[in-house]
Amino acid sequence: MRIHPVAWILWATGAGIVAFTTTNPLYLGLLVAVAWFVYAARRIDGPTARSFRTFALAGAVALVLRTALSAVGGPLSPASIAYGTLEGARLAALLVVFGTFNAVTDPFGVLRLAPRRFHEPALAAALALSIAPRTVDMARRVREGQRLRGIEVGRWRSLPALAVPVLETGMEEAATLAESMDARGHGRGRRSRYRAEPWSAEAVVMTFAALLAAATFAAAAWSGWGSLHPSTSPLEWPSADAVLLVAIGLLTVPGLRTPRRVREGSDAIAEVTR
Amino acid sequence: VALIAALAASGTLIPAAAGSAPACAASGGGPHAGLVVGTGSQTLTYCVAMDGDTVSGIHLIELASAQYGLQYRLGYGGQAVCQLDGIGPDGDDCFADYPYFWGYWHGDGGTGWTWASTGAGSARVGDGDMDGWTWGTGMSGDTHQAPPHLSFDDVCSAETTPPPTTPPPTTPPTTPPTSPPTRPPTTPPHSSPPGTTPPTGGAGGAHPRSSSPTGSNASPSGSASAAATHATATEPSGSAATGAGTEASGPIVHVAAGSPAPADGGGGSAGTVIAIIAAVVLVAAGLFRMRAGRQLRAAISHAEEQPDARPDELSEGAGPNGRPPGEPNKP
Repeated sequence: MRIHPVAWILWATGAGIVAFTTTNPLYLGLLVAVAWFVYAARRIDGPTARSFRTFALAGAVALVLRTALSAVGGPLSPASIAYGTLEGARLAALLVVFGTFNAVTDPFGVLRLAPRRFHEPALAAALALSIAPRTVDMARRVREGQRLRGIEVGRWRSLPALAVPVLETGMEEAATLAESMDARGHGRGRRSRYRAEPWSAEAVVMTFAALLAAATFAAAAWSGWGSLHPSTSPLEWPSADAVLLVAIGLLTVPGLRTPRRVREGSDAIAEVTR
Repeated sequence: VALIAALAASGTLIPAAAGSAPACAASGGGPHAGLVVGTGSQTLTYCVAMDGDTVSGIHLIELASAQYGLQYRLGYGGQAVCQLDGIGPDGDDCFADYPYFWGYWHGDGGTGWTWASTGAGSARVGDGDMDGWTWGTGMSGDTHQAPPHLSFDDVCSAETTPPPTTPPPTTPPTTPPTSPPTRPPTTPPHSSPPGTTPPTGGAGGAHPRSSSPTGSNASPSGSASAAATHATATEPSGSAATGAGTEASGPIVHVAAGSPAPADGGGGSAGTVIAIIAAVVLVAAGLFRMRAGRQLRAAISHAEEQPDARPDELSEGAGPNGRPPGEPNKP
């Protein structure tokens, strides 16, 4: 059973609020683990599935970059480095959550939810979201093809040889995509819904769980409780509040149930190997 | 150690006491700088021994914490002062309590103060300099409350230590007047603990010491209870005085009102363990799921080679190579 895209949006929003309100590495680490768990359980096949890895990589880069930037414009001390690292960790956690969101939802399913007034910006955003991972995928395929043909691909000199087929295929894909979307009623004013996606009980539960988690963290941030921002100077080992840990645990709800696909898959494995 | 001392000092009602005469008379030892902290209800002064010819304003506070147990907390990556003596915001945003914030001042060489034009992280404090911090409002030296008039000699020189009777002991209104005096109220507020230093305030003197802020908070009726408070503070209670208090200096006369402990209760280490275990379990479960997914894909591709198997059913609509986007709206 697929989960309604709105439920995923609310889940990602809740997880994003959690990441945004804290720089405590314990909370952020647990949040990243939860995002990975949900991604592993619910990722859908398709070009966007690889986006988790992309965003996780971007998060790692952000973490390193933010740490390095903390050395700029001030004397270097363990405290300033720790501060930069924790700020970077917050950014990395946000990116990982976004990566999970991208990998578990179909961007065009999300696009269909946009109100008519925002249709075009939403369309552009969805296209950008989908074209970036496709381009990466394309580059990989072209490079593979070149390698199979015995063309030794260096790093920089082969860039034109790589770029031309990638751009060309990208243009073709975009044209095909536009035609197919137009044919399916994605043009302005001609939208219609043939099949409204149902709100399953699971979607309702996960939405409430995510909102509860976000509300708990927002309340903690509001009242300054739960050591959301551990002191970096003097540098202290952060402490974690059990209530807030449970709140992060609420975000695992969409990953708890085994999707039917996997169960049937295991049955198929059993059958095939028999 | 300084950290623990700072926490202990701020978390207990009797911050620090006991010890011998400080080695910070202007004549002896290395370079010293005066540090004046005005919390609004009281003024704390410290004669800080420096570990270099010049130190930053931030480092001066760290030194005062190590030497006298001054509680502090920095923010913005250690570049700004959030908390002194338990007053100020808890997080990394030092302007969270705006319009109240810690204003930063430099001594002007006499007893006056000039508003610091640079941050404390980049300010250089040398031997004989004065640094001041006041909790208050106003974004410039014209509007922010300045520290009381004090010269370096007032803070650091033993010779000019005023006799105990000079500053009338006052108390902030928040001090509970019921605190039981452990000594007769006639005890001079700046007396050293019984021991090595004579209580006459001559040699050695009391550094740092507490004095009335600007007189606005002074209540005449409070002198008795203030004396009681000071008497309590000068009690050599070894339990409260950890490392910094015992070895460093004279009594830190320190009115405890309005210095809450910033420490966040117990259970911190348990929370750490739970958080790490939960994260590891989730990552392991995710890896398990990923492996199951890979086996599924292998099974599908295997089944595709078998004419009898129908991979469509297995994958719930999504083929192994992914479905082109935009397709689910098939009429």
